[in-house]
Formats: sequence, C-alpha cells, structure tokens
Amino acid sequence: MRFLFVDRILKLIPGQEVFGIKHVTEEDSYLNRDEYGKLYFVPSLIGETLGQLAAWNVMLSNNFTLRPVAGVVAQAKLYRHAYVGETIALEAFIDCLDTTAVQYNGIARVGNTIIFTVSGALGPLLPMSEFINASEVREQFAAINRPGEWPISNPLIDIPPSISNPQLPNPMLHFEQVIACQPAITLTAAKRITKAAPYFLDHFPKKPVLPMTILLECKLNLAYEFAMRAGFNRNYKVSELRNIKMSSFIHPGDVVLCHVKVTAHNDNILVLHYRAEVNGKRVCVLELEMTTNNDPLSRPAAGERYDQN
Amino acid sequence: MNIAEVEAKVKEIIANVLVIEKEEVALNHRLIADLGAESIDFLDLVFQLEKEFAIKIPRGQLEKNARGNLSQEEFETAGTLTTQGMQALQQYLNEVPAQYFKANMKVSEIPALFTVETFCKLVVSALNEQKLCEEVSA
Repeated sequence: MRFLFVDRILKLIPGQEVFGIKHVTEEDSYLNRDEYGKLYFVPSLIGETLGQLAAWNVMLSNNFTLRPVAGVVAQAKLYRHAYVGETIALEAFIDCLDTTAVQYNGIARVGNTIIFTVSGALGPLLPMSEFINASEVREQFAAINRPGEWPISNPLIDIPPSISNPQLPNPMLHFEQVIACQPAITLTAAKRITKAAPYFLDHFPKKPVLPMTILLECKLNLAYEFAMRAGFNRNYKVSELRNIKMSSFIHPGDVVLCHVKVTAHNDNILVLHYRAEVNGKRVCVLELEMTTNNDPLSRPAAGERYDQN
Repeated sequence: MNIAEVEAKVKEIIANVLVIEKEEVALNHRLIADLGAESIDFLDLVFQLEKEFAIKIPRGQLEKNARGNLSQEEFETAGTLTTQGMQALQQYLNEVPAQYFKANMKVSEIPALFTVETFCKLVVSALNEQKLCEEVSA
C-alpha cells in the first residue's frame, strides 16, 4: 500500500505551478463508503495529493536536495467526495519558495466542479537525506512526470464501482478509543502509532513519521463520533478544516491523545477545536467546522469503531 | 510607527499562533521559554504578521538585522557567535535581559531569545522601511 498519490504530472513550471491527475479506482487503498454505499477517496488525502503535487515542484526546483514537510494550513475546504470512477484534476500554485519554506495553494476538481481547496499552506523544507535517498525520489518523479495536455479536455469516463467490493473503512483512519467524553462539550480519544501501518514505507523510508493528512482524517472521523455522542438533532457534515498546524513529527510507538472541544454551536454550524498531544506536548492543532447546509460529505460508514466507555 | 501602535495586534496574532489566550502574552515574554513556541510557530507567526500588516519579512531577517554591518565571518564562526557578533546581537535585542545571552552562543540558539517585543520591533522596522520606499518612489 503506497502513500504516493499523484498518478501523472502533466505540466510543471519550477517554483511556480504544477498540474496533475489522480484516478480514483477500486485499487486505491484509502477508500471509504458513503451512506449509500458508494466508495470515495478519503477526503484528507485529496489534500495530501495536492501537497505531494506541490512537493514534486519544490523538490525539482531544489534539485532534490530538500523536501517540504507538513507545517501550517490556513484553510482546507471540502466540497464533495471524489468517487471511484472519477479522475481528480489537481493544480498547485506556489506563492513563495526559498531554501527554508514553501507557501502554496491548491485546487482539486472533478470535471468542472471544485471538490477540495487548500489555502495558505506553509511547509518547512528539510534536508532530503534525512528522509529518503535522493536517487529514489528522482526515480519516483521520473515515473510520473509525463507532460501532457492541460487542462484535460477529454471527457472523463464514469466507471461505476463494482457492488461486490467488500472493502471496509480503514481502521488506520480512526482513533482507536474514546477515553473521556462529556457529550456535546468535550471528548478525548487515543491512537497508538504502529510501524506496521503501510504508509510508513513511503513516509519516509529513512525516517518514518505519521503523515499529517492521516491524522487529519482521523480527526475528521472523530468529529462524527463527537456529534453522534452529543445526540444533536441536526445532521452536521464536515465542511472545513482551518488553522491547521503540525508542530512536531509523530513517530511509530507514540500514543496520540486528541482533545476535542466545542467552540461554537447553533442549528447550522458546529465548530470544534482539536489539540493533539504526544507525552503532553502539542503536536497538532486545528479548528474543524461542520455545517448542515453544505454539499454532502457524509459520515464514513465506520460503524462502531470506538470502544464504549 | 512605534511599538505601542502595533503591540496589541502583534500580541493577538502571537496568541492565535500559539493557541493561547491573549491575556497570557506580555511584551517581555520569550516565545520559546515563556510561551511554548516551536520552530514551526515562528514560520507561522511571520506569515501571519506579513498578512496582517501587509509587509514582507524575509526569512532570517531578525538575524540579519542583528548582524547589522558585520560580515557573516565577523558575526559567527562555524555556527558560534563571535565576541563582535554577541555584542551586535545584544545591541539589537536590547529588550532581552542580559542574563539570557550566554557565552559561546550558537546562531541556532538566537530564536530562543526572541520576545514579543522583538516581533513588535520587527514589524515596526518593516513598516517604516516600506513607508520609506513608498516615499522614495513617489
């Protein structure tokens, strides 16, 4: 199971912009089912794919000596799912790039519809040699860098997923256990990070660290758990993640504790503040907004993933 | 433009960046030791200050300001501040109490000295410089 998501880079101007695609297929490892049973690509990983696209540009620009890592994201907006059978058109625009950091924005579309945007992403650049051999990254880049027509002009083929696909929601995208809960007020959940998780093979061979977007997806799923336990009589859906900041790497063997609390709540909106810690030290904070009137980003069919307390 | 004019907004931004209450932020607080900042917070903070005040703060500007007219070699040797470099740094960071400047300080340790006031100064200097450029080009 790889953790590299851009299928093809179609156009790249170093230090400025990059365009690519990702097909969402049944072969994808990170899929969830919506409430109608349709398979879709995990939303936070659309953000990961945009980040990887921007990273290819950055790494090419610095001749594969430095690589960006997760830092700050001012806003990530989720508009709708990317379903199996669809192709995501990806665009990343670099606002600022030097030897210490990159600042970029990204847009993901299916056809003419925007499905996901990333604004104000800021990633520190660290020496490539700490994470992976430069030669390996060059080979990975060469394999997907196949310039072609942009924007994609051919109509996208709608391939319905087979109904027999037995794939279940991925446990790695959820916190393992809710360890404290005051319904509708606060919740604390825990996740143990195991080296057995398949994303560590690519992220990264020489320095395995938890991808920020995996943690974000866990937090997104935790929002539905929070809403369910609160017993709200509204059907809130996640619409936005903002003020995301990853302040430290999370390593295999760590135990992540995530504290969630409500900062705003009415009939139309629910805002949750998240603070994740390892050994009492802040590792990732963000604010998550759920609304009742956006396009449906339905609850993953996760079932009862959490131990009851 | 002076520190008093930007202080409230800078404190507010620092509080947001560090996810703490505004009331917890005082002008003399050191960002790392007193407010718990991590290195990513500095990157975020500079980004937020640039956005709020519509200024440009090149990365490493604080160290550059501290170095003043000294060359890189005069300022530091193999990552450690020279005597001249230490004097220049103390002069520039005159809001930081003397006891925090230790002998054989490394360049990488400079951010540990930065206080809330340091960032107020940085904003004021960027705003004044910008104003000067506007006047020259007008």
